[in-house]
Amino acid sequence: MLSGNGDGAPQAKVKKKSTFAKEIKRNHTLYLMCGPALLFMLLFNFIPMRGLWMAFTKYDLRKGIFGSPFVGLDNFHYFFFGSGMGPRVIYNTLYINFFNLILGLIFPIAVAVLFNEIGGKLFKKFSQSMMFFPYFLSWVVVGAIIYGFFATDTGVVNRVLSNLGFETVRWYAEGKYWKPILIIANLWKWCGYNSIIYMAAMAGFDHSVFEAARVDGASKFKQIIYLTLPMLKPTAVVLTLMSVGRIFFGDFGMVYGIVGNNPVIGNDVAVIDTYVYSAMRTLGFSYSTAIGLLQSIMGLILVSLANMLAKKINDGEGLF
Amino acid sequence: MIKTSTGDKVLKVFAYAFLGCMALVCVYPLLLTLSVSLSSEREVALHGYSVIPQNFSLDTYTYIFAHSGATLLRSYGITISVAVIGTFSAIIITSMISFALSVDALKYRNVIAFLCDFTIIFSAGLIPWYVTCTNYYHLDNNYFGLILPSVFSVWNMFLLRTYFKGIPQSLYEAARIDGASYFTVYAKVAMPLCKTPLLTIGLMYFLQFWNDWWNALMFIRDKALWPLQYYLYNVLSNVNAISSGTIPSGAAANIELPAETVKMAVTIITIGPIIFAYPFVQKYFVNGIMTGAVKE
Repeated sequence: MLSGNGDGAPQAKVKKKSTFAKEIKRNHTLYLMCGPALLFMLLFNFIPMRGLWMAFTKYDLRKGIFGSPFVGLDNFHYFFFGSGMGPRVIYNTLYINFFNLILGLIFPIAVAVLFNEIGGKLFKKFSQSMMFFPYFLSWVVVGAIIYGFFATDTGVVNRVLSNLGFETVRWYAEGKYWKPILIIANLWKWCGYNSIIYMAAMAGFDHSVFEAARVDGASKFKQIIYLTLPMLKPTAVVLTLMSVGRIFFGDFGMVYGIVGNNPVIGNDVAVIDTYVYSAMRTLGFSYSTAIGLLQSIMGLILVSLANMLAKKINDGEGLF
Repeated sequence: MIKTSTGDKVLKVFAYAFLGCMALVCVYPLLLTLSVSLSSEREVALHGYSVIPQNFSLDTYTYIFAHSGATLLRSYGITISVAVIGTFSAIIITSMISFALSVDALKYRNVIAFLCDFTIIFSAGLIPWYVTCTNYYHLDNNYFGLILPSVFSVWNMFLLRTYFKGIPQSLYEAARIDGASYFTVYAKVAMPLCKTPLLTIGLMYFLQFWNDWWNALMFIRDKALWPLQYYLYNVLSNVNAISSGTIPSGAAANIELPAETVKMAVTIITIGPIIFAYPFVQKYFVNGIMTGAVKE
């Protein structure tokens, strides 16, 4: 704008210094439009990070976050060795997430692949709608539905068991059954949703490859094994990596919505997230902050690794 | 023409059977819930749950509205107002930043996008978040505690940005040359071009607010502020605790056990609007998921 001035050197220096200010001035409207979202993240994501310091203290409400006595890694030590719950909730979390991951691969892919094989438009539309519907329900509602199945006196499962001459089970008093129940509930809720992702991937397939295979006389089954599944691999890998990145995060809503505060089966399905929540009341803020911090660090490491891998694999696959 | 082989036919039959079963498994529990809510209490106690209404009656619904109609309607009101206000604010906040980040001329857009990404890969965790929300923002037992913590989602932001990026930048520049500010470009050019995506995002936010009970669990103690889902949660969790047999019988006697049909009716009332809206909104969700998937 002021280029007619002649002495370029000092001006360039000034220019460099104020690039930031200039950019803000030039696009201030755009930055202002980012404002509310940035403020939200500041308030609910970044400012709370100060509170992580609680993990290394014995938090005292009156002394505040930074005034409370420093205790080093005591809280972490107690989680693993003192509480008796640390290894257990880690195990529960990994157990449930592992099976969610495996079943969340097999079923949605099977559904997507098989939808591709059928012609009936009306059947397709209806069954797709039916499968997608559970995604719209909250975990509390799913919990109510599960109650309908497992209630001791009136539940469907016990009625079927007694009609077939088996012993009925007091489901809500037997912890050992609930990990599988949660895993199935999770599959039920997400199968339709995830199959849509695979169908989106299949919509992008090059149909000439399938045409060629058909002309060569490959059966549908062979086409699935040798064409569809390999072509779905990048999508499956990305989704799996995302799940692996969050493998230390339990689904609080799922566990709490279905099992609630049931003290008998609570321990058998307690995941890290629900444990943090209950420890907040019983064992204090510092201890539960420490567990949350461990979880976040594991998440940071795994998500970053998964992200890197996904990019690498996706590019590699993209060459085909 | 190539003849369909036996193997292909078998596969087709298997596909129909498998998908039919999956669809039934997905919808059967809902039919069961609906049927129980329409059955008479005595029949349910006698014969258990069944997918065909036993002794069809609307008594349960009448009962609910007579006994806890006021509470239920208030919860409905809370949920609807939270969902409407929340969705409206969320759309404005999300669309503004998504638009800004889709404009190439914005130099620091990657820095801002990184800040957004960072909130996904690292979080302070529940307790620091809770302490901050209650001690500093005083969201405990506060109506806004149901809205503010969920009013922006980075996922939805990136999803919407994908749509905004599909708009040719030349359209913006043309408007800019005519002297329009970026805000005018956003409101007059970009937003009208993204009606469907905005509806998609809006519906996603709406569903999230409708189904939310986490914020209520965290912040709300006052029954007058309970949203619908949290109301249902409380009805159920009392029942769970009692049927596990841990509450001494004396205590259990004092807690009025909601009848089986009542529980299922409250569930149906909670998901009712979703069922009615589902046929119309389903395609937008499918669209959103597909776009999100392609973005990966």
